[in-house]
Amino acid sequence: MSMILYHGEPNGPSLAVLAALAESGVEAECRPINLLAGDRHTLPGLTDAVARDMGVEGEGPVLVVDGEAMTESVFIAQFLDERGKQSLQPREAFAHWQMLMWCRRITERCAPAAAFLGCRAYAAGKLGSPAIASADLAARWAAVQAGDFPEEQVADSVRHVTATVQLVEDQLADGRDWLMGPLTLADFESYGWLTGMVALVPEAFAGQDRATAWLARVRAHPAVQNALAQATGANPEQSWAPGPEINRWG
Amino acid sequence: MAEVTLYHWEPNANSGKPMLALMEKGVTFDSHYIDMLNFDQHRPEYLAINPQGTIPAMTHRGTWGDRVLVESTAIMEYVNEQFDGPDLMPGDARDRWRIRWWMKFMDQWLAPSFSMFGWKFFVGPNALKAHGQDKIEAQIARIPLPERQTAWRKAVFGLFSEAEMAESGRRIGVGIQMLEAELGKREWLASDQYSLADVNGFNLAYAMPLSQPHLANDDLTPNIMRWLRAIYRRPATRECWKLGRTPMASRVEILEQDYIPPRDESEGIASGVR
Repeated sequence: MSMILYHGEPNGPSLAVLAALAESGVEAECRPINLLAGDRHTLPGLTDAVARDMGVEGEGPVLVVDGEAMTESVFIAQFLDERGKQSLQPREAFAHWQMLMWCRRITERCAPAAAFLGCRAYAAGKLGSPAIASADLAARWAAVQAGDFPEEQVADSVRHVTATVQLVEDQLADGRDWLMGPLTLADFESYGWLTGMVALVPEAFAGQDRATAWLARVRAHPAVQNALAQATGANPEQSWAPGPEINRWG
Repeated sequence: MAEVTLYHWEPNANSGKPMLALMEKGVTFDSHYIDMLNFDQHRPEYLAINPQGTIPAMTHRGTWGDRVLVESTAIMEYVNEQFDGPDLMPGDARDRWRIRWWMKFMDQWLAPSFSMFGWKFFVGPNALKAHGQDKIEAQIARIPLPERQTAWRKAVFGLFSEAEMAESGRRIGVGIQMLEAELGKREWLASDQYSLADVNGFNLAYAMPLSQPHLANDDLTPNIMRWLRAIYRRPATRECWKLGRTPMASRVEILEQDYIPPRDESEGIASGVR
């Protein structure tokens, strides 16, 4: 079976998947791509591109297995874990549900906000012009390229990031090291979206000592260090590309 | 009393997912009907179970006490892992990835577009008719989640913009074509065995031949129609839809027709068919 992981700089969903890959022990060829240039939309050798073209996550890593493009960082991480050491997901059903709910909270509420703020700070005006199959993802690219970041969405995104940091702080109140107790892919996923927010929304982290210490703990984990070692630039946490859309229902 | 209690509305969309998953697994449960149009989900007795006021919710009593679970797709995963019965996730990790991908795509990209039409043409007008404007304002003010307040206001007072409806209509068209293509690859959605993706997808799609007759029918989407009828024939599906109390659930009977021809868009959801 051929397995190629196309990934952006180790930040956001790319970081989460690179760390999960390292922890899983699964063998895959890693190929860095430039998400801002639109490399993701011209990957060679795809025989099934549906998930690449229409993934909710937007510009994230793509794991290609026998020609099938696999996307969504949480689900790729689950796949790698299940093919590998099976150490990143609780075995007990209720604990597993809790982890899935946590990850869903991160991908639905935090990720759109973080990608929006990250693109506003670092990506505006720097995008290439690939052919994008998804009309709504193409619209998000156009908005970033044009510097269209409405203040109402900025404020809403800051609120979502702040609420997520508070969630982390509260989750760690019983003295646990990792979000679910044992280390899980929820730590990698949450860290990936939050670490770049320290510089962009510093007020969210003020006085949140447990969340801040957790960030440092996750960063020091060998799997995350392995992921960060694949950076091609000095500041991977400043690497953002158009991500999930902000809830259309308001 | 059963160990499991499910708080649900009609066998449809989010409520129908854990209902059907429990029935496919053969899990006995107490059915607690929450009348969404009567705002039962925002009453104190339900908020004591699920403070967010969203439907469905499930409680599971055991040696651990009472577990409370929310979010329909995540509840289904719990049901499949926790209880004996047919496995609704395949053994292959790549198949499981594909099933998770399709469930997220449907839950977060496609279903909200179907919902926008359903809320504009059915939920909003019927709730307003039943309660009147003043009473409904007070009901909406009691909704715990701000985004659900926004959704209810838009539905009840007809505030979905033309652009929002057009975008939802576009997504429904794209999504139906994607489902048709995917169901041309395998017997079931996303894998070769009946799975949570099919349970999820059926709840989203079973009424499409009525609500989107110009897009989903035997001429244009034969794979979707084959798939819907196969799920409708399952004993668990028949039992599940018997729990419906409104004409909404009886829409499923259209799948008894051997041939459903294309009809004009105007005969679909906008006509009041839902």
